[in-house]
Order: sequence, then C-alpha cells, then structure tokens
Amino acid sequence: MKQIALILAVIFLVVAVLYWTGIVLPHHVKHGILAFVLALLCLVWYRFQTASAAR
Amino acid sequence: MTFVQAMLLAVLQGVSELFPISSLGHTVLVPALLRWPVDEGSDAFLAFVVALHLGTALALLVFYRGDWVALARGFVASIVRGRVGDDPNERIAWLLVAGTIPVAVLGVLFESAVKRLFASPIPVACFLIANGLLMLLGEALRRRQHAGAAGHAYRELDRLPPRDGVAIGLAQSLALLPGISRSGSAIVAGLLCDLRHAAAARYSFLLATPVIFAASVLELPKLLVPEARPVLVESVAGAVLAGLTAYASVAFLTRWFRHNDLAPFAWYCILAGALALVLFTTKVIA
Repeated sequence: MKQIALILAVIFLVVAVLYWTGIVLPHHVKHGILAFVLALLCLVWYRFQTASAAR
Repeated sequence: MTFVQAMLLAVLQGVSELFPISSLGHTVLVPALLRWPVDEGSDAFLAFVVALHLGTALALLVFYRGDWVALARGFVASIVRGRVGDDPNERIAWLLVAGTIPVAVLGVLFESAVKRLFASPIPVACFLIANGLLMLLGEALRRRQHAGAAGHAYRELDRLPPRDGVAIGLAQSLALLPGISRSGSAIVAGLLCDLRHAAAARYSFLLATPVIFAASVLELPKLLVPEARPVLVESVAGAVLAGLTAYASVAFLTRWFRHNDLAPFAWYCILAGALALVLFTTKVIA
C-alpha cells in the first residue's frame, strides 16, 4: 500500500503540472489544483502507512 | 438588474444555500418567474454570484469557527502522529476530507456541462420536485430503519465509518443538478447512515463549507474583470447580505433539526416545483 500511495502521489503531481502548464493536457487551473490536492492526500496516506509499519 | 433585485437575490442565496431547497434551482426559477431581466451568462452576473457565495461561505466559517479550529488541530495532529486517533475532532476532520473528495472531483469535472444541460426552468422545476420526493423518501426509510426493537441504533458523527463519509459526499454531489439541494441530499444520506437529524445537518453544513469556499475563491478572478466594475456596489452589499442571511439560516436550522425533520422543506419543494412546472409548461410564463 505504501508504494501505491507514493506512485499515485507522483502521478497526481505530474497531472497537476501538465494541467497548469497546458503542455500535454488542456490548460485548466481548477483541474490542476484538484490533482495537486489529491497528490497531497496520497502523501498523507503514505505517511500513515509508514507510521503504522514503524509501530 | 436593479439594486433592489440584486439584494433580493442575495437574501434568496443566503437562505436557499443552507435550507434544503436548492439555491441554484431558486436562482434559475425566481428571476424567470418574476420576469427579471437577468442575463445569467454575463460576466457581471457571474461576478455578483461569486460575491454571494463568498459571503455565504464566510458566514458558515464564522458560525462554525470553534469547530473548524478544533478540526484543523485534529487534522494536523493526526498527520504528525501518522495515525487517526480516538479524538472525535480527528475522526470528523478525516470524515470531512473523505466526503469532500467525491464532490470536488465530480464538481470540477462535470459542473459546467451539467449546468449547460439543465439550468433552464423546466428541468429545474422537475429536479425541485425530485428533491422534495427524495427528502420524503429519506424520512420514510429512516423511520423504517429505526422502528421497533430490532431497528438500528443512532450513531454519533465521530463514530461514522469512512465509507459512510464518502457516501454522504457522493450524495452531496447530486446538488450539481440544479434543483437538487446540497444540504438536503447530504442530510438524507446522513439519516440513512444512522445519524440523527442534528448530526446529519451539522455534517452537511461542515461538508458544504470547504466546497462553497473553494468554489468561490477559485472564481474570485471573475470579480476583478472590468465587466464586474458596474456591479461592484451590488456585489459587496450582496455578499454582506447573503452572509448575514446565511448565518441566520444556519443558526435557525441547527435549532430546527434538534426536534424536527425534513418534511416541511420537502413539501415546499414539491409544491414550488409543481407550480413552476405548470406555469412554464402552459406558457403562462414564457
């Protein structure tokens, strides 16, 4: 699960950057912000997984 | 749109955003019924609507300020610890995150398309009737769920499992359809997840706050365009008025749901929707 959380975080971060720059995906500020927030939540999920593994 | 009409729309927004009667539906129906010359697609009107939403969101933030401080503390504490503890504020904060994801994703992806398809009086009137029926159905199912000795026990908000938080968030997404109420659909979903009316309403208002606030902040640039300048006074006064009425509405509703149910709002939606449907389909109002 740790790896999935991290991979998803990276994917959402890339999607956010692509939306903001408009290079590959059409330029959408709101879509970019949503993808960025989802990336942050995946990082929190990763944090929860690593903390529970350490316990 | 005159100043008086703008202020009436502000009061309408402040009340109908939180009462389970659909603010979007009323914003479409009332100007059409009263034949107000409102161009709902114009930059000036969009800027005015953004200001009203901002006023409503600020009112909700102020009303629940104590809760939001406690929830933010719980949220940060759980991340630092790497675990959601037994503190009710931590659990509710994560329920709100879980419930906000579906409405944020669906809203960002589909809001414009849905509005384009359905934001005209006849579909709105139909959805308003559906909103009323949904609330009556929700109340009937709740009564059946809790009837007799074998009925479900009521749950406290912080004991709600995350999947139920997501389910309530998904129900709230129905409000993308103009005429379906955000608070109504979320309260019905909360009741079906064994919450009492007061807890379901509180969760619905807390869930609505980040959505309304984020939506209005993201649309703030619309307030800064040159086309918005002629309605600057209306926008500021409207935001204040919408905020005051939203504050009064949430204060009233939190007291109402301690001892009452959704039935009066359901009947209002059915009657108002049916009346609007008759007036628009028979072309009494074009």
